[in-house]
Amino acid sequence: MRYLDCFRLLAERRKGQLVVTSAGNSAQAWWHATHDTEATFYLEASMSLSSMFAAGLALAQPALKFWAFVGDGAFCMNPGMLMVERHLNVPNLTHFLVSNRVYGATSNAALPNLEHNDYAAIARGMGLERVFSFDSLAGLSEGFDAVVNANAGHSFVVLEVEPFSDTEQKLEQPPFDGPELKYRFGRNLERMSGSNVFGYRF
Amino acid sequence: MPDGKQQVAQRLLDELAQCGVKLIASLPDNWVMDFIGAAAHDPRFKHVPVNREESAIGLCSGAYMGAMGSAALMGASGFMTVIYAITKINYSYEIPLFVMLTLRGAVGDHHKHHASNGLYLLPVLQAIDMPFHIIDRPDDIPMISRVYDHTRTMTRPMAVLLTRGLLRGEGRP
Repeated sequence: MRYLDCFRLLAERRKGQLVVTSAGNSAQAWWHATHDTEATFYLEASMSLSSMFAAGLALAQPALKFWAFVGDGAFCMNPGMLMVERHLNVPNLTHFLVSNRVYGATSNAALPNLEHNDYAAIARGMGLERVFSFDSLAGLSEGFDAVVNANAGHSFVVLEVEPFSDTEQKLEQPPFDGPELKYRFGRNLERMSGSNVFGYRF
Repeated sequence: MPDGKQQVAQRLLDELAQCGVKLIASLPDNWVMDFIGAAAHDPRFKHVPVNREESAIGLCSGAYMGAMGSAALMGASGFMTVIYAITKINYSYEIPLFVMLTLRGAVGDHHKHHASNGLYLLPVLQAIDMPFHIIDRPDDIPMISRVYDHTRTMTRPMAVLLTRGLLRGEGRP
């Protein structure tokens, strides 16, 4: 399925989840679909840490729901992230693995072993129980509510998408400096949760 | 009667609890095994064994954004692998991070393979302008709270470096 179509569907079906994006294409696609300035943390170029960042959030805020987008390029760098997620097993985290089989942020350079990587099998091999995979927009649309909105626990969802075209690679990046994004996201979370993220103490 | 190592582990945990730390993400180093073991069984904390040190940086940074206090505990070798994660996440977004690591390669370390940490750990911390404080004696342990608060006040990462002597309950390197 087309990357942008997939993310447009996710944006349409989102129900208040806070989002953490991975570097490059997922941030571009999510910004393109939502222009979200408050409830998405665009974590740029962390080289595989967006789901760990989201897991920390989910652990800290069990009453809120979180989505993490991880590109399969990032996943290749740190598949052991799933061991930590399985250990935590936070029910309010959905990990979307966006599989385009390339390093999308670096001119669609090919991934190692791209034809054989079976991300769902890897996840199951690490003990994850709620593992899903979609390679068509129709399938994602049909299965979305049962999988993502079921509130049934920590979920790992593989989204097989096409790499960005040359034109799509030129989509706008989220236009935030780091501290601005931190405060936008954190203040919104404070409003949603009543928690004090930025309290200042002498 | 707890031995010296266990007493130090308990004092370290008491200090972290006083800071408001709820999450401890760790990878092992032989010097901190008693500390990790005590953390894993202390109901005041959620202890998370991570797959690599970078994951601890991501997890603790996210916990901060969720208003949960945290500490990333690792050996010196592990710290040498997380420079990119810290400079990218914690420097770019100004997210505080409290790191506890071992002062490997210092005088008294019996392991020759930590020679590189003895040579480069402190210079690397200085190279990325990451403040640190060495905790060498049990009487230094209250500095942990001050360092932790400093990370929050300055919205920057900072480390405490635990010596072999401290962790063995000896009070010397």
